[in-house]
Amino acid sequence: MKETDFFGVFLSPFLFWSLASFAILWCLRLVLSWTGFYRYVWHRSLFDISLYVVILTLLVFYERSPTR
Amino acid sequence: MKLAFSPALIRKLVTVFLVFLAVFSGYLLWHIDRTSPWTRDGRVRADWVSVAPDVDGLVSEIDVKDNQVVRRGDILFRIDSRRFRIALSAAQATLLARYAAMREAEHDARRYERLRQSGNASAEKAENLRARAMEDKALYQKALADLTRAQLDLNRSVVRAKVNGYITNFHLKPGDFVKRGQGVFALVDSDSYYVDGYFEETKLPSIRIGDRMEVRLMGVSPSLWGRVETISRAISDQERHDLPGTVPRVNPTFSWVRLAQRVPVRIRLESVPQGVTLVAGQTATVIDRTPHRTR
Repeated sequence: MKETDFFGVFLSPFLFWSLASFAILWCLRLVLSWTGFYRYVWHRSLFDISLYVVILTLLVFYERSPTR
Repeated sequence: MKLAFSPALIRKLVTVFLVFLAVFSGYLLWHIDRTSPWTRDGRVRADWVSVAPDVDGLVSEIDVKDNQVVRRGDILFRIDSRRFRIALSAAQATLLARYAAMREAEHDARRYERLRQSGNASAEKAENLRARAMEDKALYQKALADLTRAQLDLNRSVVRAKVNGYITNFHLKPGDFVKRGQGVFALVDSDSYYVDGYFEETKLPSIRIGDRMEVRLMGVSPSLWGRVETISRAISDQERHDLPGTVPRVNPTFSWVRLAQRVPVRIRLESVPQGVTLVAGQTATVIDRTPHRTR
């Protein structure tokens, strides 16, 4: 929940996490299509957007964990 | 051997499972956002004394600088004391005169009391003189009080710090005329720094008095720690604009989109890391770090 300092403009950390999870999704998509996992996926876009939400939630939970 | 699940079914299962997971985690995100007790809208605050002289006069001497640290009892500035010394001498002179008058009146009263007893003076005269003696005593006491006041004014022409703290917004120069009761600068009480977190009303139910709070100042890396001291019990009602002593005047428009209002939660700071300088007005992010409660 540290504020993101973007050249002096302080942004909500959620914005940062949403961009980060997009980047992670991008990498994951490459890996998944390379391994051929998408053969087991019904609607690819639906799968991707669900994956995005799950990654975002995991990031927010990681960020909120008290050990950090 | 043939697979128990056909590839088409596996494809559907994988996707549907992930969609359900996404819906659930989306709900969790929403729930966290609505209820997790943290806010970016916090402020460092402090109490300050508005330093005002107790007497009118010209500033003659300045003993402090802007932003200086002062201790309770330190001299801040002095007002030209000549006028007060003159007033003091005048009060002393008046006291002397009143004392002489009082003594004379007492002697007269006693003398006429004896004469009245021996039958050589009228009771009326003796009584008049007794009354005059009492009057003169009262005037003497009044003069004594005036002298004390003149002394007090003279003492108050030296303005001292009432609390430990920092001089703030100091622009006084010798020759400035200061007026009684009119603040000339602020003395920030260094023992009074605290943080107000403006929490949305949706988050209030999960905040308790005594909760351990992390305070992150904007641009300062080590966190400060504190505890919830109190939660404000009133904020102003923006839908209502009553004139004093009249009936309610409620805003007739009500918007579709509305925001949770914010309530100040006062946090007593318990640990401020070495090297962190607190400035009243600084922006802070406040996070409830009490671990046991599920949110």
